[in-house]
Amino acid sequence: MNSVIYKRKTPLLVLLIPAFLFMTLFLYYPFVMNIFNSFTKITGLGTSGEGYNTPWYANYVHLLDDPLMRTSLKNTLLLMLATLVFQVGIALLLALMVDSIRKGTQFFRTVYFFPIVISATALGLLFNLIFLYNGGMINQLLEKLGSGAIDWKDGTHYLFTMFFPVMWQYVGFYFVILVTGLNNISRDIYEAAEIDGASGLGRIRYITLPLLRNVLCVCLTLAITGALKVFDLPWIMMGSGMPLDKSWLTGTYMYHQTFSMGDVDYGSTIGIVIVVLGVVVSQIANRIFKEKDY
Amino acid sequence: MKKVIALVLALTVCGSLVLGCQNTTKTSVTDTTAAGPATTKATTAETTAAAGPAKITVVTSYGGDDGNRANYETAVAAYEKATGNTVNDASGTSNEEWKAKIMADFETGAEPDVLFYFNGADANDLVNNKKVVSIDTIRAAYPDFASNMKDDLIPASPADGQKYAVPVNGYWEALYVNKSVLEACGVKVPGADYTWTQFLTDCETIKAKGYTPIACSLAEVPHYWFEYSIFNHDTVATHATLPASSTDTAGKAWVAGLNDIKTLFDKGYFPTNTLTSTDAETFQLMADNKAAFAIDGSWKIGWFQENAADINDFTVTYVPAQNERKATDLIGGLSMGYYITEKAWNDPAKREACVKFVEAMTKDDVVSLFGATAVTALKNGTTAPADADSLTIAALAMTKSATGVAPAVQDKLNQTARTELFSGSIKNIVTGSLDTAKAIDAALAIKE
Repeated sequence: MNSVIYKRKTPLLVLLIPAFLFMTLFLYYPFVMNIFNSFTKITGLGTSGEGYNTPWYANYVHLLDDPLMRTSLKNTLLLMLATLVFQVGIALLLALMVDSIRKGTQFFRTVYFFPIVISATALGLLFNLIFLYNGGMINQLLEKLGSGAIDWKDGTHYLFTMFFPVMWQYVGFYFVILVTGLNNISRDIYEAAEIDGASGLGRIRYITLPLLRNVLCVCLTLAITGALKVFDLPWIMMGSGMPLDKSWLTGTYMYHQTFSMGDVDYGSTIGIVIVVLGVVVSQIANRIFKEKDY
Repeated sequence: MKKVIALVLALTVCGSLVLGCQNTTKTSVTDTTAAGPATTKATTAETTAAAGPAKITVVTSYGGDDGNRANYETAVAAYEKATGNTVNDASGTSNEEWKAKIMADFETGAEPDVLFYFNGADANDLVNNKKVVSIDTIRAAYPDFASNMKDDLIPASPADGQKYAVPVNGYWEALYVNKSVLEACGVKVPGADYTWTQFLTDCETIKAKGYTPIACSLAEVPHYWFEYSIFNHDTVATHATLPASSTDTAGKAWVAGLNDIKTLFDKGYFPTNTLTSTDAETFQLMADNKAAFAIDGSWKIGWFQENAADINDFTVTYVPAQNERKATDLIGGLSMGYYITEKAWNDPAKREACVKFVEAMTKDDVVSLFGATAVTALKNGTTAPADADSLTIAALAMTKSATGVAPAVQDKLNQTARTELFSGSIKNIVTGSLDTAKAIDAALAIKE
């Protein structure tokens, strides 16, 4: 009886249609229109185009000679790198440590996952207060220690100030995935290794990491593609690319061009760059971090 | 049977999608885009068609930490109590992003019912695209609408010369002074004869004593210093002239003014983090008695009343002058007012509520509450509160002795040009990485 529904695929296809229509209407159609818009002149969101640009590919030429676009691409790639090293790296360390303890595992899972459930806007305001120049938490501590206040958003510190909250927010996400992966490794293997005289580090090197590889690959791919979408925290903390247009990311720069400058067609062009970059990077990540069957 | 269930489920999901995308507002009498002049024929019968309380969406600049936020909330609560209508308040803080969001809302059909917004070039698109209703149109149905205002003083739209926005109160921009910081530095409170040279000397003294002379975020709100620095190189009569380029008379005044700001930056008179801070952060220096001077508008009085430990530590006076401008010449005018949108006007359920809301917010006593010291269009003028504090009294004295009032020239720039200049260029001009004349020409070249 139950097998009938699986043999007849028509009902399943019918059920897939609403989601397909939804995606077509709200994702693929806007994307195609976005490509079209990047060739036209649009001076306000929602207004129709005022004809094609001269030449029609003018926005793409502008992309190449726009120094702020180069800054945003550089910062986005740096964020991607930082995400790999710090988000997944720290999550892995924490997961290995929590997996090694007998009590309190659930407590640490909750504690490390908690930042995920806080809205990015609230986190942005929180970290703004932490990094505030006059009376911020860190500068108050520095002043108590006899050191001068630091402008955490100046040309020397802005990358740290922008990246740190992003790293902090998502460590818990990868931590939970990795802990789940570690739980799936059979205890018998560790016991056998222990009998054979394997040390703690040896067990991690030769048992944990190889068996965790597929989960780790998923985390790394998610981290890389996720870095391309980061927008909210940097926008709240470093709005208008402060300091001196140094902190733009592709997402924040696209928003600035579209909403603040009203240059919708150039914003569309940047949007296409983001999509292309996302597809290319995720393909590379998939090839590098290809899953293996054991 | 399974097939039927699957089909019913699929149809239900499809149906809910279609229904979800439909416009549920069935009360609209005419399509917004088709309304246009037809609305002038609105009859009183139509206006009274609505029955029962209405819910209207209102956008103003009285959001965030605006000095008049508390007054606004009080006035809205009084309106809701008197009419039974409810207000969905979507107010924000006035900055370039806020303006851009409002324009995007209008363009995407998500505009509010009542909008408190600028009446200059900023609103040209609203007027040109017939998104707001003129006061004459409203008066055709409600003859007493805005009858407490002097019509001559209600600013007309530069787009078509008609009047759309009912002004609450005008504004002035002036120099707020922290008297306790000046006292600690041995500097006199500036008066009506304050010169730029004296100002530079005072700033040096204040800086040497370890205080910040000027509270201003050049990264976020350099607008007021821009306006007065330029004013110092032209006159009341010529200030509102938008230059054609950096080389004409008005353009040269802009170059000289922006170079004055650069000088102040080079001398270290702005906060250390002026290029990375927000306006709120730098103004906190005033409240914390760490900074001496700040230029801002009449609306900022409310901020001092809320945030200053002792309001008597603060006063407001004239911005130091040079060249032909007298210190007593002010930047000011009636730059903002309440608009009723076409969309709300064409909705019988909301029309009456919107008219009553604007009337409630522009009553004599409410206008006085929002800014007794400001320029006003009220026939009866504003009434200063009996228990006015020292800052309000100082503002009244200052406006009374003003020798000239010029409107802010930046209001003549479009949104993109202003964003380019204030968010993009000034920070780079002061650091020397961008040539002043080139920055001005780039901003002026942005026509749309």
